[in-house]
Amino acid sequence: MKNVLAEALVVAVAGAALAFAANALSPRGLKLSRDFFGPARPSPTNAVPAPTNAVAADTNVVTVTTTNTPSPHELLAARLRDKGLTLVDSNQVVRLFHDPRCQQSLVIFVDAREDEYYKKGHIPGAYQLDYYRPENYLAALLPLCQLAEQIVVYCNGGNCEDSEFAANFLLSASVPKEKLLVYGGGLNEWVTNGLPLEIGERLSGQIQTNLVR
Amino acid sequence: MISPAYTAPTSSSRVPDILGVLARWLVGGLFIYMGLNKALHPVDFLKLVHQYELVSTPFLLNAIGAALPWFEVFCGLLLVAGIAVRGSALIMVVMLVPFTLVVLKRALAISAAEHIPFTQVKFDCGCGTGEVFIWRKMIENSVLILLSLWLIAGAGKKLCARFALWRARAPNPITLRPVPSRG
Repeated sequence: MKNVLAEALVVAVAGAALAFAANALSPRGLKLSRDFFGPARPSPTNAVPAPTNAVAADTNVVTVTTTNTPSPHELLAARLRDKGLTLVDSNQVVRLFHDPRCQQSLVIFVDAREDEYYKKGHIPGAYQLDYYRPENYLAALLPLCQLAEQIVVYCNGGNCEDSEFAANFLLSASVPKEKLLVYGGGLNEWVTNGLPLEIGERLSGQIQTNLVR
Repeated sequence: MISPAYTAPTSSSRVPDILGVLARWLVGGLFIYMGLNKALHPVDFLKLVHQYELVSTPFLLNAIGAALPWFEVFCGLLLVAGIAVRGSALIMVVMLVPFTLVVLKRALAISAAEHIPFTQVKFDCGCGTGEVFIWRKMIENSVLILLSLWLIAGAGKKLCARFALWRARAPNPITLRPVPSRG
């Protein structure tokens, strides 16, 4: 048994060293020193995170919802309010999307998701700010943010918090809070509403429409 | 020359050997597959680990999110190649047992909070296979733990590049004294 323990120790040390090296070399690797999620906050979604119990439809179990518990949407709105940021809904976002100021980059959209998801489809003309690898995007994005009058930050919506994180990140990078708007419904709501998507790079010209799910 | 004590392996004695190798490949292969899925999407995995609220230090959380998937791939490769099999299998057990308990705890919490039967609780547990029914994941992990314990016990020795890193110390060989020649 001693041999097995010693062997396990060697495997653990070698494996850990190689794993950290692989993370450092991988283009998708994570920066270990960054605090991605900020201080822990008490919320229902933290206590029982993101269940996807969609299979309960054919059961006789009645789900009890307590009206005292604020919804994730209300919690998000409260958190953003605390920071001086604004939560916007689908109608406001559509209005901003059709706003002529969009053409002059006075209203810009910022997609806070990872590269892979951005390329699968984003709001047409949206700039990218992968919140987990901002160093790749910040140099190009910050001057645009300074010039813009309104910046709509979004991610997938629902349980996705990246738009909130990215807005806070831009705030810490000296972008005035009055400009920052967070689209809580996110891309899922955008697609559900049948609004167009741009595939691939920004201004790729590949637009998909009528994507109602 | 074959000694009188030697018995040729029969097909029935080969079965455990074959099963041991298959167990090693299965456990190793699954770890490679699930580890790569996570390693290629480290941010998604990091978010899932964050939801478990296991650690509060950002560095530790990031280290788990960044290194654990590659570590799983490494251990899986060792098992498939048959290197340090018992040590690697022990690591698998050390990873699988707490992880299974954490997933079970979260599934029970969801079941209680949402008033749904345990068998209908479904979420992405961070296993690298997306959303799954948790009762199935519990069975899958139990099987993996049992197979790993079997490997620790010494199964899967065939087709190994180096089953053990160190050779077990052999008992003192019987020294044969030369028979003095007569005459």
